[in-house]
Amino acid sequence: MSSLLQFLRSTVFTKIVMAITGLLIIGFLIGHMLGNLLMFAGPEKINAYALGLKNLGPLLWLVRLGMIAAFGLHIWSSIQLAYRNKMARPVQYDTKKSLKSTFASRTMLVSGLAILFFVIYHLLHYTFGIIQPNTYHAGGYRMESTGEIVHHVYNMVVAGFQNPYISISYILALIFLSSHVSHATTSAFHTLGVMNPNAKKITSKIGPALAGLFLVGYLSIPIGVMIGVIKKAPDQKYVSTMTKDCPDTPDCKCE
Amino acid sequence: MKLSLKIWRQKNKNSEGIFKNYVLSDVSPDMSFLEMLDTLNEQLLSKNEDPVAFDHDCREGICGSCSMMINGKPHGPESKTTTCQLHMRKFKDGDEVIVEPWRASAFPVIRDLVVDRSAFDRIIQAGGFVSVNTGNAQDGNTLPIPKPDADAAMDAAACIGCGACVAACKNASAMLFTAAKVSHLGYLPQGQPERQRRVLKMVEQMDNEGFGNCTNTNDCEAACPKGISVHNIARLNRDFLKAKLFG
Repeated sequence: MSSLLQFLRSTVFTKIVMAITGLLIIGFLIGHMLGNLLMFAGPEKINAYALGLKNLGPLLWLVRLGMIAAFGLHIWSSIQLAYRNKMARPVQYDTKKSLKSTFASRTMLVSGLAILFFVIYHLLHYTFGIIQPNTYHAGGYRMESTGEIVHHVYNMVVAGFQNPYISISYILALIFLSSHVSHATTSAFHTLGVMNPNAKKITSKIGPALAGLFLVGYLSIPIGVMIGVIKKAPDQKYVSTMTKDCPDTPDCKCE
Repeated sequence: MKLSLKIWRQKNKNSEGIFKNYVLSDVSPDMSFLEMLDTLNEQLLSKNEDPVAFDHDCREGICGSCSMMINGKPHGPESKTTTCQLHMRKFKDGDEVIVEPWRASAFPVIRDLVVDRSAFDRIIQAGGFVSVNTGNAQDGNTLPIPKPDADAAMDAAACIGCGACVAACKNASAMLFTAAKVSHLGYLPQGQPERQRRVLKMVEQMDNEGFGNCTNTNDCEAACPKGISVHNIARLNRDFLKAKLFG
């Protein structure tokens, strides 16, 4: 038992927790990005996708709880490690040069904190609809395939990014995210002890590659909206079940 | 050539240190960095001032004593070179040279540029050894070691324990040192019986000494006068995981 406790307390173990939770979050980010790219396929596709996610039910909550746990452990580990690092050098150098380290690797704490704030902001924006409530409750969408009235995710996103301040905040956040990911991914594989020379060829480049992919993939949406590639769909009079106050008109169906 | 030196002066472990400026003229480009400090100390002694204390022993680049931060880089501007092997021709006339001790809570400053690096010794004592029965030495050829393994073990064993990795690391982490010591025995058949216990004990001791942890920035590798590869850190991580999961 004491050896288990010692294992759990060891910095190498904390780093392993950091690496595994980080890779889980990256897995989520890849899925989230691919889903978001359905914005380019039009309202029918993305709204159906959003509905599909909602209909997953318990599975959706499993993923959500998993993500909350991964985030929680990732943050907990980072606090542990950052505190230790701070204590390890109480007196700073007068002059210290960086030798081989990248800017991203030296600013992980800053980029990590920026991402944390962004995640909270992003959830308040598009998940809870507290930021920009008007665009969040922009109205419902009648599915062409089933006739079901669903939350108009497509118009919500377009209306959100038509505000330049919102778009700029997302662009800034993605720069922090890319910086974080570019070091983190490669570092995680190193922490997990990947040593095979062929595997290392991939893991040493996977960080910057993913960072670039996220930057292009995620930012294509706000930029697409701003330059008008993604246009707002015509407003329908439907009110989705997510809107609380239903006008109760003949062409509005509320559950 | 003439140099303006800014050197950390500290009387003992408990006193407050301060930077002092010295101007040293007639520095020959053929001097080593330590010979330049010797020259400065002769001048200080002739003026009845305390000489600058610094660690040194072999002056051949293999003992790992001459640890100091020179202009923000461990062992100075030349890569894969210890301070004693650094020559003054790497500096220009009129240069300002800032000399500081290693900064880490696990390496307390004892005096001026001298730090106590016995934390490293305690990491070695925790597991950086192989237990061998006494008696006649075994015939070398009865224990075949593949050439790549022997080379990798030798590369790791090149670590002189100078502490430049800790000094260069933004977290003052001793992972490169510990990893080198774990690997150089771990690559060899003699190191196998104690392989798992070694990595666990050495990591535990490393943590207890108050070093930071590795964030894989690779500054240690660049600072190492012996060019120890961070590959050894991945190897330590793997050994650590294996020892815990399957040990």
